[in-house]
Amino acid sequence: MHTGQIPILRIGTTLLASIQVELRDTTAQAFQEDVLKAIEKTRSRGLVIDITGLDMVDTFVARILTDTGRMAKLMGTETVLVGMRPEVAATLVRMGFSMQGVHTALNVDEGLALLPLLQSSQARS
Amino acid sequence: MAARVLSTQEIKITSEDEVVLVRRAVRALAERRGFDSFASAALTTAVTELGRNIWVHARSGLVIIEELEDGPRPGVRVEFRDQGPGIPDIGWAMAGGNSTSSSLGLGLSGTKRLVDEFQIQSEAGRGTSVRITKWKRF
Amino acid sequence: MTSTLEYMNKLGFTEQELASRRAYFQLADEDLARLAALRPFAERHNDAIVDAFYQELILKHSESRLFFTDQATLQRAITAQKRYFLELFSGAADLGYLENRLRVGTTHQRIGVAPKWYLGAYAHYLRLITERLLDEQGGSADTQAKVRSLQKIIFFDMAIAIETYIAAGLDALARHQAAIRELSTPVIQLYERVLLLPLIGTIDTARAVQVMESVLVRVVERQAKVIILDIAGVPVVDTRVANHLLQTTEAVRLLGASTVLTGISPQVAQTMVQLGVDLSKMHTRASLEEGLELALGLTGRCIRSKEG
Repeated sequence: MHTGQIPILRIGTTLLASIQVELRDTTAQAFQEDVLKAIEKTRSRGLVIDITGLDMVDTFVARILTDTGRMAKLMGTETVLVGMRPEVAATLVRMGFSMQGVHTALNVDEGLALLPLLQSSQARS
Repeated sequence: MAARVLSTQEIKITSEDEVVLVRRAVRALAERRGFDSFASAALTTAVTELGRNIWVHARSGLVIIEELEDGPRPGVRVEFRDQGPGIPDIGWAMAGGNSTSSSLGLGLSGTKRLVDEFQIQSEAGRGTSVRITKWKRF
Repeated sequence: MTSTLEYMNKLGFTEQELASRRAYFQLADEDLARLAALRPFAERHNDAIVDAFYQELILKHSESRLFFTDQATLQRAITAQKRYFLELFSGAADLGYLENRLRVGTTHQRIGVAPKWYLGAYAHYLRLITERLLDEQGGSADTQAKVRSLQKIIFFDMAIAIETYIAAGLDALARHQAAIRELSTPVIQLYERVLLLPLIGTIDTARAVQVMESVLVRVVERQAKVIILDIAGVPVVDTRVANHLLQTTEAVRLLGASTVLTGISPQVAQTMVQLGVDLSKMHTRASLEEGLELALGLTGRCIRSKEG
């Protein structure tokens, strides 16, 4: 399901969004809206954002991703960011942007495996 | 010895589309001159940040992309010029920015760490000029 | 090895550059025409001149003689030299000519012939051929013009030879440096999903950057969940080094993996706390052993003794 360029798949109570396109500012913002709408519509408890396809993440996109995670959390959904490329990670930390508060995993499988742990600790708190 | 300019490209910024063009042009240049993926990502990110600043804060500007050579060493230099509001206190902006213009502040100081040379000139009401250079690492 | 075409790109040898060089060395079309007209003369005297050049200069000089260990090598060099000097009289100084000269410089660098040898050779050759030219054709204005044209093209050639020699040397240097960097950050796979990087020696900024990049590439390549950085072999761990390690840890976290820092001696522990470095976000252990146990635990494994 998607109105924008980034497809959002549903796997049980989890949403999987795979970003393959070059992210312009407007595309990133549209993505954020699409994701939140999808969470509301499907009542998903988990969100995995796969950025294996991104060869560049600047502060704008980094902020969108971090904010999306926070917004999803307010709606009761845990988010895991997966597949960041080495050069993207290096660039972000060099800029001083370490995306604190965002959960990360190596790939989609690991992300899906991490969600239950995050969700159970959320339930306890 | 001063660096030699091998080629120049000018791109006028009037919309978000041109920022994307700048990014693609710089990435293509870095790849052509054999920059490694880390250096290329750093450079591409830096120009996207600075190009966006023009678009967001000044709405129009000019980007000049130069292919350099210092002896055998390739480099890329990009200059960003706009006639926007300018930055009244560069030191303050570069020191990590503030909450309202946090995008500008973090963008500038963070961008500086991604490149080898960083020069900025700005005056309130007179516009801004930022020039960055990145050399290929041996 | 880089091809001559790649070198031409590297050194910026375009039509524009060629024109600029010719202008600077004042190598005009009429000079080239004069040289072309001199070709028969050059052909008549080339063999004698190059042979004399080797007998009088190269082989008499103890250091240069060392390059020619056997007859075969000497013969090959002489043949190549004769061909090279004849080309001075080809009447062309286009990109093709440039490419030829370029090959000479890169060959010299590769076999270790320093500029002093071939610059000395150029000077000697110029002297020998000028003598013969003046002998044969007298000291007229016309002959003097020919000598000047010859000087121009020889200096033109020398510049190219030196520049390509330098470029080839820098190339070799870059390859060596890359190899050293690779060797100094050996990332080892200890177990499935567990990597180890033993850091040995001083970590300056350049090395720290290289360490971070190697670590990130390997973590993604092997999809490792944990990387152990052992710093027992790092002599000085100050705020700067600690910050580099912290930055690497943050980057590894962004990839979805975690870092365990091991090899922390009491001295390093004291320094870190006294300097106010906050390593609380990192997993840290005193010894590699303990770090390994932790890493295994983080990947859902443990070490068990065998029964009995």
